[in-house]
Amino acid sequence: MKLFSAQNIAYSINENKLFHNLSFEINSGEGLHIKGGNGSGKSTLLRIILGITSPSKGSIQSYEPDLKISYLGHKNAIKSYLTPNENLELLFNGVELNHAFEWLNKFGLSHVQDELTASLSFGQQKKLALIRVLAQSSDLLVLDEPFVGLDQATADQLNSFLAQKISQGGGLILTSHITPMIDCEVLDLGVKNA
Amino acid sequence: MPSFIKAESFKLSKKLKSWLGPLLVMVLVLIAFPLSIDISQYDLDKFYFSIIVVSLLMTAFVATEGMFEEDFEDGSLEQEFLKEKDFYKLVISKIFVYVCFIGMPIAFIGALFSFANGVAIGSFGKVFLLLSLSNLLLFNLFAFGNALSINKGAMLGVLSSLPLALPVIILLGRAIRSIQYGDGFVAVTTLMVGIGLIVSAIMPLIISAALKTHID
Repeated sequence: MKLFSAQNIAYSINENKLFHNLSFEINSGEGLHIKGGNGSGKSTLLRIILGITSPSKGSIQSYEPDLKISYLGHKNAIKSYLTPNENLELLFNGVELNHAFEWLNKFGLSHVQDELTASLSFGQQKKLALIRVLAQSSDLLVLDEPFVGLDQATADQLNSFLAQKISQGGGLILTSHITPMIDCEVLDLGVKNA
Repeated sequence: MPSFIKAESFKLSKKLKSWLGPLLVMVLVLIAFPLSIDISQYDLDKFYFSIIVVSLLMTAFVATEGMFEEDFEDGSLEQEFLKEKDFYKLVISKIFVYVCFIGMPIAFIGALFSFANGVAIGSFGKVFLLLSLSNLLLFNLFAFGNALSINKGAMLGVLSSLPLALPVIILLGRAIRSIQYGDGFVAVTTLMVGIGLIVSAIMPLIISAALKTHID
């Protein structure tokens, strides 16, 4: 099932073209790995797909109006003045909250669940941000550099979760400098030269 | 909407500085201002209201300073946009929670201090109502200023929205005179309620549009 299609999209910042004439499709049960050098526009492309940023040219068509999307961007969207437990209780309830607590245990954060998030390490905060995405029931996962800051064991857990999500018919779009251990289409934006 | 209000209440209750700070500023100004100027105690009941207007303006200013900044900085606004496609519910809930948690306690403190300054006890309800309505208007206006310059230091935007507060101050002044001279209180209060309802419905739309431009 087709989720999104992009037709000839381009994006420029002050006359500088980040990318142009990009066309691709995103289907359920498939993954898309967007790769490219620093400043090549990977994160911008994700934001264009999500409708947060408008493209300079071209269009994105969504085929599922009620598509549930989970997004992890550069910003973690977690509250530093709350504990991990409070952050999760703020976001979820019912079954999703139970899932979130399960992930908290799997990621080895249960011993810091009552500490302030601000006092956690970068990697621990990243894990908490990932829990926000993984515990949600969604049709499409959109992840911006999800492996950055993760230890190998957590990266493996994430890889197996993403592979399972795709096999269950979910969609996945991610940007990463680290090649994910899952079968994905690759969209290479190249290296942005000065 | 109740889920938004619940979440915003929880967040604000955990940010001690955000809600306690404005209340302390209000108390401090109300105590310090009369002490710092030489006003005859017989005239204090008349001057007290001008003090309260200044205090109200300052505390509303302080209270709304970081209203949207934190959500913008940590990426919560982007998440909200993906779920709701606009920020109307978020903004209206946030302003409601700020008025309940900060605005109304400020109004209560203002009304309470009015006794100490010679205002008749029977006017407590009237003063409380007027200050609450003024806070509703001021919080809406300063929230707009906050949203305008969210990525340039929110205080700048709040400052730029100060002129918008002038009509509120004029209205509050008129309402205060109606308490002092016992004339036309119902009419001016009804006018403030009407303006409050209109502003509370329209301003979140404008704020929502301003926030959208910042995350784009």
